[in-house]
Amino acid sequence: MATEIKLPRLGQGMESGTIVRWLKSEGEPVEKGEPLYELDTDKVTQEVEADASGVLLRIAVEEGEVEVGRTIALIGQEGESVPDEAPTPAPEEPAKPEAKRAAPAAQTLQQTVARSDGRGGGRIKASPLARRIARERGVELSSLQGTGPEGRIVAEDVERAAAGPAPAAAAPAPPSEAEVVPLTSLRRTIARRMTEAWQAPAFQISTSADMTRALAIRARLVERGDTPKPTISDLLTKVSAAALMRHREVNALYEGDAVRLLASADIGMAVATERGLLVPVIRGCERLTIPEIAAARADLVERARSGKLQQADLEGGSFTISNLGMYGVEQFVAVLNPPQAAILAVGAVQETPVARDGAVEIRPLMTMTLTCDHRSVDGATAADFLRTLKTFLEEPGLAL
Amino acid sequence: MPELSYREAVRDALATAMRRDDEVFVMGEDIAEMGGSMGVTQGMLDEFGPERVRNTPISEMALVGAGIGAAMQGMRPVVEVMYEDFLTLACEQIVNQAAKHRYMSGGQVKVPLTVRTQGGAGWSPGAQHAQQLEAWFVHVPGLKVVFASTPADVRGLLYTSIYDDNPVVFFEHRTLYGIKEEVPDELEPIELGKARVHREGEDVTVVATGRLVHEALRAAEEAEGEGVSVEVVDPRTLQPLDEETLVASVKKTNRCVVAHEAVTRMGFGAEVAAVLQHQAFDWLDAPIERVGARFTPLPFAPVMEEWVVPHAADVLEAIRRTVGRNGH
Repeated sequence: MATEIKLPRLGQGMESGTIVRWLKSEGEPVEKGEPLYELDTDKVTQEVEADASGVLLRIAVEEGEVEVGRTIALIGQEGESVPDEAPTPAPEEPAKPEAKRAAPAAQTLQQTVARSDGRGGGRIKASPLARRIARERGVELSSLQGTGPEGRIVAEDVERAAAGPAPAAAAPAPPSEAEVVPLTSLRRTIARRMTEAWQAPAFQISTSADMTRALAIRARLVERGDTPKPTISDLLTKVSAAALMRHREVNALYEGDAVRLLASADIGMAVATERGLLVPVIRGCERLTIPEIAAARADLVERARSGKLQQADLEGGSFTISNLGMYGVEQFVAVLNPPQAAILAVGAVQETPVARDGAVEIRPLMTMTLTCDHRSVDGATAADFLRTLKTFLEEPGLAL
Repeated sequence: MPELSYREAVRDALATAMRRDDEVFVMGEDIAEMGGSMGVTQGMLDEFGPERVRNTPISEMALVGAGIGAAMQGMRPVVEVMYEDFLTLACEQIVNQAAKHRYMSGGQVKVPLTVRTQGGAGWSPGAQHAQQLEAWFVHVPGLKVVFASTPADVRGLLYTSIYDDNPVVFFEHRTLYGIKEEVPDELEPIELGKARVHREGEDVTVVATGRLVHEALRAAEEAEGEGVSVEVVDPRTLQPLDEETLVASVKKTNRCVVAHEAVTRMGFGAEVAAVLQHQAFDWLDAPIERVGARFTPLPFAPVMEEWVVPHAADVLEAIRRTVGRNGH
């Protein structure tokens, strides 16, 4: 009896995944634990291992989005006959009308393959003409539904996509061609989560910290020859962790009927990548040294930019820091990263004239804006946290 | 403009050349008194006499060989091989001799020989008298290969073939001898290597030869009724091939069906498909479809013969496949 390979739930909140390509082909022997296919989830692309040994008898879903629990392949003995009828898909959550609609019980494997949208064998099926037009007009073939035989993308499909909405009838000048970029799965996730965040009653408070001493510490660490070179962000992560340990209401998740106060400062850092925003998490920052944080940060950023993050790298943060200082941004407001109760937006360190003891001095100031979910954090709590953070940045020794 | 049958057009091309040049003569089995098994040379004995309209023994090898010898001596013989199935008997002469002499002599010897032959199904002659073997000869460097599908074409192309300094294997189709077409008053030679666009269209090009040109035109009519605009192109000469016209047509329509009566496997259409996928790759919106006979010896029983060889309906099906959409 063949083993059904189902789409696993690789992280909380994962409803579906997009199969990018299979690393084994039908008929090939597979060992349990060997990488079997590449899966694109909300945030990462990762290799998924086979959970049975034998021969890959049938790939039921060549490519495309599949809901969790759907049978995507069969592994069994060589020569074993494969049932035409796909086993009833078993989504993990029973009462999910959406999932049910998407998976009619009597769907055959054949149909599933046919629905894979002209993407057979890990390759998009498109006519040469369609490919040429797509190349010339900058249309992403993977975003198209093929209407040709066997779901092949034909020229007409690309032209329709390239045309987009009909241009205004009496456009006097030739319209400059707008590029239509279909949402990637990451982009869709960002859109969904940000919209979700927007529902929270959020408020912001700001303060500036004198970074003279923090910069001195950082300079000392760099001078000492630490690699990777610690950054102001690393230092900020460290002192934020210390501040969060003293203000646990801010190191918290809002869960609708409860607030979960977390024991460890697992700080997510917003990383800009070509594909979009990713927020990998450095765990237990309160226990890490600055060089350790720098090493963890460098590793995560590198993997984020090369698309090698695992789902686990992105999960379970308790607090998020978004730093746009390197772009010269002085101050900005970050959108919450639900269910986290707060997010810190950090600007550039700038030489600023400040009044000290009746005189104007030039000091390196850094402005921070804390966005909080008012359902779990009140203004005074937030202000308290921010004051601690400011103090720690100005007197890093107090964070010890 | 006079209207000639395909048969009359062949005869007219032969007679016109023979009136013009003493070097041109015809030779074949039963072509003199009997006028040929298809009646093509009827009356020619009376006009040109037995020196120039010569009956030969039943030996295709000897007949073609004699033609080669005469051609090498400066004549322009036209030999008739009664059925193209019998070309197999003359293959040594055609493939190893006629095709090679000009090359092997460094151009000192020319072989301006025309081998006329005919074939084709549709009248239940069985497996040995109706094959379509044109692709065999397209495969041989040194030969030119012509397959004419209309009276005007057969007249102009045969005349040009006679005056070509290379051996030409000239295919006629058995079922086309009776069809009629208006032809120019004066015989106008048709250059070898020039395709004829029978019908212009926008959605799919059908490259057809011989009888299938007519089937393709019928299919195109039907397709038109379904809103599909079909271009029908007959290459007319298979060697040399007018790649330019075929490629231009497919670049316009983005889809192509190749159609011939010969079996599909290794047929002439395979070569056309290869040329097109290479030269028009980025213009193709669908796989090139091939229409040809099923891979079997021709059956004698009429219903089975009809099932084996392609007709307009098969071309239409292929047209539909190339423009097909899900749900069709």
